[in-house]
Amino acid sequence: MKNNKPSSKHRRTGLAATAAAVLLVSGCASVESPHDRDPWESYNRGMFAFNDTVDGALLKPIAYAYRDLTPQPARSCVSNIFGNFGDVWSALNSMLQGRGHDFVNTLGRVLFNSTMGLGGCIDVATMNGAYKIRNDLGTTLGVWGLDSGPYVVLPFLGSSSLRDSTATLGGAAAGVSALTPVFAINDVPVRNSVLGLYVVDTREGLLDADEMVNRTALDRYSFIRDAYLQQRDAMVNQRRSGSDALPDYSDDDLPDYSDAPGATTQ
Amino acid sequence: MHARTLSFFPNPARRWAATALLLAATLLASVAAQAQAPNPKAAPNDFVQAVADNALAAVKQDEAVKRGDLNRINQLVDELILPYVNFEKTTRLAAGRYWRQASPAQQQALVDAFRGTLVRTYSGALAQVDQVSKITMQPFRGDANADDVVARSLITQSNGPAVGVDYRLEKTPEGWKVYDINIENIWLIQNYRNQFAQQIQQSGIDGLIAALNQNNLK
Repeated sequence: MKNNKPSSKHRRTGLAATAAAVLLVSGCASVESPHDRDPWESYNRGMFAFNDTVDGALLKPIAYAYRDLTPQPARSCVSNIFGNFGDVWSALNSMLQGRGHDFVNTLGRVLFNSTMGLGGCIDVATMNGAYKIRNDLGTTLGVWGLDSGPYVVLPFLGSSSLRDSTATLGGAAAGVSALTPVFAINDVPVRNSVLGLYVVDTREGLLDADEMVNRTALDRYSFIRDAYLQQRDAMVNQRRSGSDALPDYSDDDLPDYSDAPGATTQ
Repeated sequence: MHARTLSFFPNPARRWAATALLLAATLLASVAAQAQAPNPKAAPNDFVQAVADNALAAVKQDEAVKRGDLNRINQLVDELILPYVNFEKTTRLAAGRYWRQASPAQQQALVDAFRGTLVRTYSGALAQVDQVSKITMQPFRGDANADDVVARSLITQSNGPAVGVDYRLEKTPEGWKVYDINIENIWLIQNYRNQFAQQIQQSGIDGLIAALNQNNLK
């Protein structure tokens, strides 16, 4: 808004990014037998690779630099403050799902952390055993009965499903999301700085998980997709049925999955 | 009779002897408690708590771990956690219907190759442990007499939210064995089934074994 200088640069990087995305998507061979919940796997793998490239070139180095340069208490404070806003959003969704207990508990966390926790800087609620109850609009839609739909990898944002991306993008477009208070900041440079900090803080929080995936995954794409789908299903199922459904590892052509000694190598 | 023998000693000496005896007993008891291995035949929650406490205590004390030595953590996982894990079953379930297509030699090679991944998964979780990390078992749900149960726990640390970790256990003649682990709603076996199937479809069971071994070298 202040000057127009960076816009041409932005346009150029935007163009380069689009070109790279098109290249990656078209360059990806179609997948032979896609996962039944991932019919768009060919596109998704392309977008995943694109996101990985952007992440490796830009976000990850910044997140590591942030981790190296900022003392841990300061980083905790930043995450906790964003987490406190996130709790308001979670509480709202718990209410929409008719989960009064979670709603009251999360609201209590917000009040406690905002006051005793110095504006959310210290998560005193967790220290006192009131653990975070995560919730979001995608989960709400799921609890209301909406199926997750196909898995989709969004540009820059990563793993999602048709339902969850509708919730995320629709919520953002309608101006209701965990980030609403940030978007309400009128001063543009301040707002953008806060948004930037939010992105860096979020990415920093994922560095360890990312390293773990790199150390353990056979195929990063499948690992992350299946982890996402499992986690989202569990979020919805726990709220719908009140219990965890255990994975059933039996197979149709292997009816006796009981631990019969004959089925094992010794 | 015993009391009469003791009463021969003058009072201060008797008190001293009693104190010394008590001290020795306490010392012995604490040594015994430290050396006590988790009992796989205990209730699932107690068993998991004992295994986890052992591992947490070892990680917190270890100087190499504090320096961020991942190999040392892997070694601790090998010593303190893997004896209680049935990774043969983990591998078999992850392979799903392909397990029976594998020859016994391939099955064994697959178990050996996947072991490294399991070690890295557990050590990845242990690498996050700090001095205040604590594991709290959640109330046991389900049938305590069943052969296939889930023990649920919450791991708390100084910074960051609590992490939910569940263990799926099966009853064996030697007691409970963990065969699946759930970190923040993600079951390990479930998360490898597609990766295994995909790799087998591409390059067969030997290809999967090779890919896992390749990963172990990283």
